[in-house]
Amino acid sequence: MSKVLLMGSPNSGKSLLFNRLTGLHHKVANFPGITVDVSTGRLQHLPDRELIDFPGTYSLQAISADERVAVDYFERSLRDPDVSHVLCVIDATRLEKSLYFTLQVIRECTRHHKPVTVLANMIDVLDSHKLSLDVAQLAVAVQAPVLPVSARSGKGLEAVVTALQGERSLPAPGTTESLEPASDERLRITAHQLAQRFGASGDVLIRNQTRLDGIFLHSFTGGVAFFFIMYLLFQSIFTWAAPLMDAVETVLSTVADWVIPMIGNQTARDFTADALFGGIGAFLVFVPQIFILTFVIGLLEDSGYMARAALICHKPLRLFGLTGKSFIPMLSGVACAIPAIYAARAIDSPRKRLLTYMAIPLMPCSARLPVYTLLIAAFIPATTALGGLVGWQGLAMFAIYFFGMFCGLLVTALVSRTSKDHYNDLPFVLELPPYRLPSLKPLLRTCWNRSKHFVTKAGKIIFAVTVGVWILGYFPNFGADLGTSWLGYLGHVIEPLFAPLGLDWRYGVAILSSFLAREVFVGTLGTIFGIESADEQMAPLVEHIHNSGMTLGSGIALLVFFAIALQCVSTLAILAKESGSRALAVKMFAGYFLFAYAAALLAYQLTTALT
Amino acid sequence: MTTNLWSLKSGDRCEILGYDHALDDKYRIRLMEFGFHPGESVSCLHALAFGAPKVYRVSNTVYSLDDEVASHVLVRITP
Repeated sequence: MSKVLLMGSPNSGKSLLFNRLTGLHHKVANFPGITVDVSTGRLQHLPDRELIDFPGTYSLQAISADERVAVDYFERSLRDPDVSHVLCVIDATRLEKSLYFTLQVIRECTRHHKPVTVLANMIDVLDSHKLSLDVAQLAVAVQAPVLPVSARSGKGLEAVVTALQGERSLPAPGTTESLEPASDERLRITAHQLAQRFGASGDVLIRNQTRLDGIFLHSFTGGVAFFFIMYLLFQSIFTWAAPLMDAVETVLSTVADWVIPMIGNQTARDFTADALFGGIGAFLVFVPQIFILTFVIGLLEDSGYMARAALICHKPLRLFGLTGKSFIPMLSGVACAIPAIYAARAIDSPRKRLLTYMAIPLMPCSARLPVYTLLIAAFIPATTALGGLVGWQGLAMFAIYFFGMFCGLLVTALVSRTSKDHYNDLPFVLELPPYRLPSLKPLLRTCWNRSKHFVTKAGKIIFAVTVGVWILGYFPNFGADLGTSWLGYLGHVIEPLFAPLGLDWRYGVAILSSFLAREVFVGTLGTIFGIESADEQMAPLVEHIHNSGMTLGSGIALLVFFAIALQCVSTLAILAKESGSRALAVKMFAGYFLFAYAAALLAYQLTTALT
Repeated sequence: MTTNLWSLKSGDRCEILGYDHALDDKYRIRLMEFGFHPGESVSCLHALAFGAPKVYRVSNTVYSLDDEVASHVLVRITP
């Protein structure tokens, strides 16, 4: 099958054009090791051609590792005999932004004897402002056919199909000096001259943008809008996703209730109930959150607001080695680290993306809440001060939430200052695209692809670990007593590790099992203490914890431990997949365990000394 | 008067003169790709409070630059 490359700079409307040409029937893959999507799909009207959506980039002169990989991929593709044509998208309303890259692409295609067609997108915007682009003269100047198109309305797309059908006979209208030997510097000057000659002038094209920026970037209205939009985002992943997550659990438990009684063998029944349905449920429950967060972030990106939000947050986050684009992933991490790690894809600097990955697991995610609630109920008195204005338990919850965020920022501040990686960093030079109404269909397709990626890639790892932990907890006594299982044995083995924190083997077992998900800590302790539904009724468990002889120092140490430790197989699985590095996931797990342990030990010693 | 891009206030216009030597090459390359060429006219659309990145217009495109970059772009204020 012959291949057609689709090139273009960011915000040129390339992805929408790709969706138009392929009819949304495409698959998404990643470049190895980096989080740059490459979508491929068959052309709707030429099913024997595969369209490859090349990642948006500003130039073929790479200035980071991510860009280097993408540019190398393009250069390899040009040597591929199956690549029959290259389409290069430019934004007809902002020629000066796209022409340098376009000339580079034309030069490389000429060198490799590949036909190239320039698609002048957003021609409908020019039409609506009664402006025009002289495509015939531009084609002569750039030495390649130029077709006016609109990805939004579909205008001009038939001509693209016709051009691809007659690709071998396409003339390269070259009456000017050949681009082939031109240096990047020469191309830059030519692009500048062409933009001045052909580009739309005047304020008309950015009038609306300037007016809206006057609201969204205003010191007061911009701040209000920012907090309102972030509030909606937070609500979407915390509140709106909850009924869907409950629905996933209900469907799974209904199917389980129907299937499990049909299984005769006790071990097979227990395996199906706890490992199979438990394992599948462990990752399927996150799908609604991932879908909804991807949708909301897509709305923000496509509407143009994301760039404004990044601008507003940049200054304070820069102090901690992060960028304004880190804010939304970190905020999402307060609900769940998994969709938050996906959200970090929007960060173009590989260096800043890595630092954001490091901060996300320390955000106080919702899975920590049951653990915090239990330990605070057990050790902090339910009394108030200042005439009822301050509740000690509420204050403790606030403190432990703040502590997690503080640790996240502390880690990124330290790492960014002690380990320099200049090559993978990018400057804060952010294009503020025009405000646009998002296109719903492609956005929903992206949400679907992201959810599928999670289920098919990370789901396998999460399921395998769930089964592994189930086997350890079930054998050799066939689930009769967790304390005498292999997991219980492991709890005894690691008891000396947790003894300096004043914790015995039972808490060691609960910490081990909470690797599946932090909230499992509560249920496991309930099982060990022989309490049914401990995660729903915490009062009896609180009493057992008191009776077990656990001290305030140990309780505080456990709180600190859970605030820092990366006790979540799902987060680690998706971290390994998204970063393209299992080593990073392992290092972060080990590093945060050591950090958590040291901080917990310090908290234990201090609390014990003070009480 | 020669100054730098970061010193512009909202509504100011300038002409780019060049870059100072402290600016990393790759930053200079990216700025040139975005149209911040010597001789180009740039206007500052928004200068946000608390030292947040400023918003500049080059031709029909709007960019946001922080002080780490903008303070190395040498400009001359134009009326």
